[in-house]
Amino acid sequence: MMRLTRPVQRKALAHLARASGVLLVVSALAALRPAPPRVVLGPPHTVQTVNPTVCVHTRLTDEVDEWKIQRTLQMVREMGAATIVEFFPWPYAERERGSYDWAHAERIIRHAENQGLTVIARLGLVPAWARPPVREKVTTLTYLPAEHFDDFARYVGAFVARYGDRIGGVIIWNEPNLSYEWGDRSPDAVAYTELLRLSYQAAHAADPHIVVFGGALAPTNEPEGSGSGMNEVRFLERMYEAGAAPYFDALAAHTYGFTRSPADPPDAQTINFRRVELLRVVMVRYGDGAKPITITESGWSDDPRWTRAVRPGQRIAYTLEALDMVTAWPWADHLCLWQFRQPSDFHNRRDAYYALVSSDFFAKPIYEAVQAYVRGWENPYAP
Amino acid sequence: MRHWTARACSLLRDCRRWTRQHPRLALAALLVIAAGFAAWRLTRPGAPFGPQDGTWLRVQINGDLYVGIDPSYPPFAEWTPEQIVGIEADLAREIGRRLGVETHILIMGYDSLYDALYTGGVDMLIAGLHPDSTLTHWVYYSQPYYDAGQVLVSPREEPISDMRALDGKTVAVEMASSGDAAAQRWARRLRALVIERYLLPQDAMRAVEEGQAAAALVDTVSARLYLPAHPRLVMAAETTVAEPYVIAMRRGNFRLTAHVEQALKAIKADGTLEGIIAHWLSG
Repeated sequence: MMRLTRPVQRKALAHLARASGVLLVVSALAALRPAPPRVVLGPPHTVQTVNPTVCVHTRLTDEVDEWKIQRTLQMVREMGAATIVEFFPWPYAERERGSYDWAHAERIIRHAENQGLTVIARLGLVPAWARPPVREKVTTLTYLPAEHFDDFARYVGAFVARYGDRIGGVIIWNEPNLSYEWGDRSPDAVAYTELLRLSYQAAHAADPHIVVFGGALAPTNEPEGSGSGMNEVRFLERMYEAGAAPYFDALAAHTYGFTRSPADPPDAQTINFRRVELLRVVMVRYGDGAKPITITESGWSDDPRWTRAVRPGQRIAYTLEALDMVTAWPWADHLCLWQFRQPSDFHNRRDAYYALVSSDFFAKPIYEAVQAYVRGWENPYAP
Repeated sequence: MRHWTARACSLLRDCRRWTRQHPRLALAALLVIAAGFAAWRLTRPGAPFGPQDGTWLRVQINGDLYVGIDPSYPPFAEWTPEQIVGIEADLAREIGRRLGVETHILIMGYDSLYDALYTGGVDMLIAGLHPDSTLTHWVYYSQPYYDAGQVLVSPREEPISDMRALDGKTVAVEMASSGDAAAQRWARRLRALVIERYLLPQDAMRAVEEGQAAAALVDTVSARLYLPAHPRLVMAAETTVAEPYVIAMRRGNFRLTAHVEQALKAIKADGTLEGIIAHWLSG
């Protein structure tokens, strides 16, 4: 043991004390962070629009900064869209089984309400605890084993209990007819119908007036049994055959024009904008024609390299034409454009060319054109 | 300075004195440091007790390399009846050749790319990807193999390589394109910038040829495809808005990423990459 009486040891201790002091100061400086921008809700707004059909799919799921959430929703309101579709992932709310954290959802709903926007909540993805352990099987975030369907339904019920009277409805899952969205497995309409039934019952138990959207079916020509997906028209038929009719109040559908004009007639072999009419035919055939279809994703890409994109000028013309068309369809209530903005344009190059606003809040020409359409102004990009 | 040197010397003298007074303690401290260093060396990635790169071992043993490509982006990747062709397909095969293995191209939709990489379906992705800072905890991005951003095209006699040189002049863009958006941003920074809009990037470049604009701001692919037949125009060496395309691999595959980076560097250095790009973008 060292004895403090020795001068050398006293000196060493003094050095040590000084070094510790310096370390402490450096650590304290390193821990300093600028305060996040203060976000104030402000007075409530209302959306000024001449066409309430117009809706956008926002991407606030991974938006960390509250001011960016607010700015995004402000720009939606300023554009004149009264409704948004937003994703509320199950793992974000129930990281641990039975323990809910609504902080992120709360921020989005609160800011949307403040801007006068109606939120259609898309619910999906699977927390780690509801998926097989990685050592047993590597699965994606969309892999939901049947034994956890009731857990997902419980989340739907909890979400609706909390937000049911403040939102425009809940979409149960996303594109279940694509393998990519069904845990890299072949789509299964019967299993999805069971998930829809459990979710519908949980949602309506929490709020009898909530609108439950089935589907959010994606357009694809993949035949039944394919490893990639299942034709959405066939998938909807399979859903009805499995008894899905009583378990959804409206059908959510995705429809994309790709390189074709919105006027291109619907055809079972072609992926085009009016293909959504084929879903309507199935609904009528199964006696479900009174239910509306909400187009929760749609649009044209202006990626200069993608074979399924159009030129930017064409994109504007097609989008406005499609909005006219849906406004005239009595069985469709919204056309939600994919997508408003994403947190980083580098995150997904494909989606960046679908966006109306860049990640740094620059309003692209398509935004200005839709804004002019919805607000009744002159189109600045008219050919 | 002299003060701190004196303090350091004094500290050193104290340490030496302490070491002489406590030789056993000093030896023990030295052994602890040596053991720590040895543990660090032996448990580093690839060391005997460190994590191994199983993918690189498999690539070497089986002699195969699986590359995920989205074949809907000509001239980068396109699905022909015979095979997948294009810049990215050629690059994938060239990397395989340099690594001494056979490249297997797996075609997939854009949305499935990262899932395929995550689940081990492919070893790397060459699909016009941008480096995404939100994925770098598990994805390793290579150096860029192409910049598809917006570039200035101007007359050869009066070349313009910087947007600042366009102050007071006219720039031609494709209506509502990324070039249009970039020009609008620059218009806010410059004293006077006139933006003329055209339906296609070719129309914008033609306007420069005809003297209606000082330069056109278009994507590099459109420019490279247009310029060989229009020698009076020249493309700036640097893009105004960069859009780098990179290869994505799993961060844990540290041996594979190192070898691919090395191969890509060599492919760039000996002109092979430029040759591939020129072949597909010669107009």
